[in-house]
Amino acid sequence: MENVIREPIIVCRNLNKWFGEFHVLRDVSVEVMPREVVVIIGPSGSGKSTFIRCINRLEEHQDGQIIVDDMELTHDVRNIATIRREIGMVFQQFNLFPHLTVLQNISLAPINVRNWSRDKAEQKGRELLERVGIPEQADKYPGQLSGGQQQRVAIARALAMEPKIMLFDEPTSALDPEMIKEVLDVMKELAGSGMTMLVVTHEMGFAREVADRVLFFDQGRIVEVGTPEHFFENPQHPRTKLFLSQIL
Amino acid sequence: MTDSFEQQALVYYDEPPVKAPPLLVVGPLAWLRNNLFSSPFNIILTLISGIVLVTGLASFVTWIVTQANWFIVIFNFRQFMLGRYEMGAEGRVILMVLVIAFVIGVALAAWARVPRGLLFLTVILVALMFILPPAIKTIPLPPTYVSAGDADIVSGSSTQPPIPQWGFIARAGETVELKLAVALSSDDAQLATLNSFADVGANFLRAAAATRLRDQARIDEITTLLATNLPNERTLTDRQRATLETELGRLSVPEAVTTTTALNQTPINWRIVRGTTFETIDGGVLQPDGAAVTVMLPEDGWYILEKDGSGTGLIESRGIYPLLERNFSRGETLDDAGDVTQAAGRFSEYVRMTDSWSTLEERPRIDGDNVPMAQIIDTQYRGNGTFSDWLTLYVGNFLDLLNDGILWIVVAVAAGYGVAKLADQVLPARGKARDPRIVSRRFSLWSLIALPIVMFVLAYGVGLGDFLPFTDTRRWGGLLLTIMLTMVGIIASFPLGVLLALGRRSSLPVISIASTIYIEFVRGVPLITVLFMAQLLVPLISPSLAEFDNVFRVMVGITLFSAAYLAENVRGGLQAIPPGQEEAAKALGLRGGQVTLLITLPQALRFVIPALVGQFISLFKDTSLVAIVGLTDLSGIAQTSVAQTEFLGLRREVYLFIALVYFIFSYVMAAISRRLEASGSGAARRV
Repeated sequence: MENVIREPIIVCRNLNKWFGEFHVLRDVSVEVMPREVVVIIGPSGSGKSTFIRCINRLEEHQDGQIIVDDMELTHDVRNIATIRREIGMVFQQFNLFPHLTVLQNISLAPINVRNWSRDKAEQKGRELLERVGIPEQADKYPGQLSGGQQQRVAIARALAMEPKIMLFDEPTSALDPEMIKEVLDVMKELAGSGMTMLVVTHEMGFAREVADRVLFFDQGRIVEVGTPEHFFENPQHPRTKLFLSQIL
Repeated sequence: MTDSFEQQALVYYDEPPVKAPPLLVVGPLAWLRNNLFSSPFNIILTLISGIVLVTGLASFVTWIVTQANWFIVIFNFRQFMLGRYEMGAEGRVILMVLVIAFVIGVALAAWARVPRGLLFLTVILVALMFILPPAIKTIPLPPTYVSAGDADIVSGSSTQPPIPQWGFIARAGETVELKLAVALSSDDAQLATLNSFADVGANFLRAAAATRLRDQARIDEITTLLATNLPNERTLTDRQRATLETELGRLSVPEAVTTTTALNQTPINWRIVRGTTFETIDGGVLQPDGAAVTVMLPEDGWYILEKDGSGTGLIESRGIYPLLERNFSRGETLDDAGDVTQAAGRFSEYVRMTDSWSTLEERPRIDGDNVPMAQIIDTQYRGNGTFSDWLTLYVGNFLDLLNDGILWIVVAVAAGYGVAKLADQVLPARGKARDPRIVSRRFSLWSLIALPIVMFVLAYGVGLGDFLPFTDTRRWGGLLLTIMLTMVGIIASFPLGVLLALGRRSSLPVISIASTIYIEFVRGVPLITVLFMAQLLVPLISPSLAEFDNVFRVMVGITLFSAAYLAENVRGGLQAIPPGQEEAAKALGLRGGQVTLLITLPQALRFVIPALVGQFISLFKDTSLVAIVGLTDLSGIAQTSVAQTEFLGLRREVYLFIALVYFIFSYVMAAISRRLEASGSGAARRV
């Protein structure tokens, strides 16, 4: 890589979290550099989603440290608000706002959080729709779109806030096989443009092609970290080997 | 011999054509077979419900047309609509109705795709409203029967002498036709069919004839029974036989009433005089041959029909109709110069039953006594009426009451529709003009907020000198009060209910516990209790609150009551929103209040539109309870009008009428709610 900033943009140190008695995150420590694409894989219930939801505080960690862009996530509401502004998130179930049109979905946050004018926000919205390849759907309601189109709108909605980091929580798991590709293409384009991305996914092809680093989660902890080449050609940990042998 | 299947790949390159679906339209007979007579059980069900429906409906419609007395509704129509709202201030209510009609017109242009059939139906109905009354006026009004002569009329054990004078009011140019009712004097069967307005004497004649016919029929029946009781086939026991013979002994049939009274056998002298001056307009003799005379009346006001003769006569008159006497008092009115233009005092108003024409001219007096008049209490329409009488007396009159109003309402709706369509075309839509009806839709949405305020201001006033002075809320009543209570209840309880719903879900324990206690407490008591508290307890808390008008205190009570139920409905909607919505909004950086206002609440409200409308409908009907705390809403007026001496015993007519009014409004609300749900603004838009 050429001249990137040396400072990591996300730092997690010894992250711990419990759901009741259940220890869902165990001493998770990760550093993510700017422009890096990190793909997180692992079996269901291994804590991958919980981990990335902690980063924008949709879940609250109970022990350890999360520092995003030099700001630590604490109970301080102002910090949470600032950090959320810098992080976009895409959900498995899209979570578009069904009562708003596509364009309103996208321009809602810039207008109300960034205090942009409606014209500016809608201008930006149309540009983003162009970028994700569905400019003609601007005035439709989410219910009128296919799953793949909805997920692309969700990506555009997150990008409208001009975030520094994008979190993807299994973005293709709820999609028909034919629609997965159109969403992955958008994500690849985004990765190519230098966005810092954390992606929870089961798409091994995407991981192999796009990821700078792959994290393997199991039972709430990081089992193995490595480049895609290392990961898919030469995994070391028996749990990783077992997982990969079952899905590939 | 091999049983292996040849595995062969098949590729279909030919596309089958896309065809229209087969025609599934079936005739009415097939529809009946499929839907009403599809199984033995279904056949039985269809037959039973058909029989119940037809018999029930038939007797109901028969009652409506031939027996019910709808004058009570026609005469009290203003009260049913406005209560005792200030005379002369009706203009405000009319303006209010027109504003509503205009807004409805705009809303139709903005939201509705008016189906052609419905439009057609509406046009036909409105046209009927204007075609029917003149057509009905060509049907002659039923006659009034007046007795004459010098012989007492006997019915059973009571007697009644004919009254020599008979007062009535008429307008200039109207005619009165008089003749002896010879068609009724041929036999008792004819006389018993006297179904019209009649004075006491005439009613005695009818009753005597009817009683005689009934006795005669009973005698015939008993005689037949006794005759068939042959010794070898004993159909009657000894005891039954003895009872019947005793009854037969008590029954005796006199000669026909028409014969004993020598009805219409002698000439009757008549004279019509002016009620004020007693000058004779015309006079003469009615001959027993049934020839008719016609008198033209020169001016508006009171007239007296004087009649005398020997024997008993029954005059059939056309143009004399029963009256309603209303007493009221009023203050004096001054003109600009300070002169009295209208005196103060107690007055009697005389209203003609058949067309509601009224006069304040005083009732004539003869020898110090008021002249007897065709008064509604003793000349009510008797017996079974005919369909044409129903049309002339009730339908025509009622349409006359409505007609002017309907015309202006139609004009206002059309104006609203036209203006909205024009505005959508002419005014440039701001921003991206993706919705061609944006202007009318904006107006329509704003009017939802503005309309209740305008309505309230018009009804209550603003008190700026002569401009819309305050009205006395104690005089509000009828439909006006019902609608005002409902409207204020809905508008005021809405924000309160939403706040309570959010409060109950709040993470702050004080707010959530306070909301919960309020909601559960109010839902645990009946509305009546809340109304009584507003009435009786509030003044105890602070005497200054007692100075509030009763109406306003009741409004507060209704609002507080409704808010608790509304809160629970809204809370249900909030719970139905998937948690992902809130997460997505938070992840975008929206703050808590923004998440609620922009994301969860709008969706929750769309979810619960049916429940909310249901609640508003029940609120609309629940306002009838305010009659108990002394307000005369629609049901309160119903209570007071059935207590009027002229209309005693007409409960069914009154309650049927207000049921119809309540139904129309509730149905319209429900229909709008169904449209809202079906349109994209409802829950249908959900992913």
